[in-house]
Amino acid sequence: MGYLARFLVLAVIATFAHADISLKPGDQVPDLILPAVNGYAQRLEEVRGSYLMLIWLGRCDNCSELLHDYQQLAKSMEIDGAKAWVVWTPYKDDVPPNLLIPVLKYDAKWPDAWLFETRPSIMLIGRDGKLEHLITGNLNSIYKETETVFMRWISAGRGDETVE
Amino acid sequence: MKYLIALILAFPCFSFAEGAAIDQDITRVKDAVLELNKDLYELERELLSPATTRAAFNVSLNNGKFFEPLSVELLIDGEVKVRHLYTERQVKALRMGAVQPLGDMNLSPGKHEVRAVVRGVDHLGQGRELIASEQVTKTSKPLITELSIVDREEQQMARIELNYW
Repeated sequence: MGYLARFLVLAVIATFAHADISLKPGDQVPDLILPAVNGYAQRLEEVRGSYLMLIWLGRCDNCSELLHDYQQLAKSMEIDGAKAWVVWTPYKDDVPPNLLIPVLKYDAKWPDAWLFETRPSIMLIGRDGKLEHLITGNLNSIYKETETVFMRWISAGRGDETVE
Repeated sequence: MKYLIALILAFPCFSFAEGAAIDQDITRVKDAVLELNKDLYELERELLSPATTRAAFNVSLNNGKFFEPLSVELLIDGEVKVRHLYTERQVKALRMGAVQPLGDMNLSPGKHEVRAVVRGVDHLGQGRELIASEQVTKTSKPLITELSIVDREEQQMARIELNYW
């Protein structure tokens, strides 16, 4: 009976956790294709060559206010070729955030969809598709850190381009 | 002594001729390997997707003035076979005349219910769904189809058609 219970628990975990992945700085980020609630679908492979800030939301029901500063930050760095996407996982009747940057809607039915296991979190993905910085925690409390790291990261990239 | 000198002088000629023959043999073997590889590839293709069961579905966008696809779902006999999301770059390619290979699959000969659901936005920015639902008959020949999204100027809207190649 004990084995059966354990098997059932493992089967349930395997069913629901298959799409969650774990990554650490230095890892290559696997391709991701998700539909956007405000435009075209986005594909990670298509933005290789750009800096990408990927914002993984926790529970979010119309949390536009929470993301306002992040959106401003992303917009201010657009000139340097930086992009920003938000990944939103709907829960029941949750309303997606209303933003100008792409808001991707996670749904396990899409073939190249996956979820990062730690949410909320911010991923800064380099032009070669590698995860360069990972900041986790409540989005309000990690904004300052994100801003500092993001600005420094883009500036360093600008320096590299000059050297090249 | 004379014979020995003659033999020594003739040796490079022999080895040169022998070398040329070996080169020819190598070329022949290489050609044979390439030929064999091609045969194996064709055999593999035949085994994996023989003509009797081969079915291919493609998508094209004719003009795209009244509709822009965002995603497509292909169902065969009620079962979802392919799901695809369109990025901006892919839609641009379709507008420029690209034909997207949506999926290659095996279908047994006989009748099948094919249903394609294309979700997207119309020229007014409203969400729209185009549906093509048809019963197709798979014969012993490969079934190659094209889901064409065509503008209907007079109705100011787009529709989807299933065409056979």
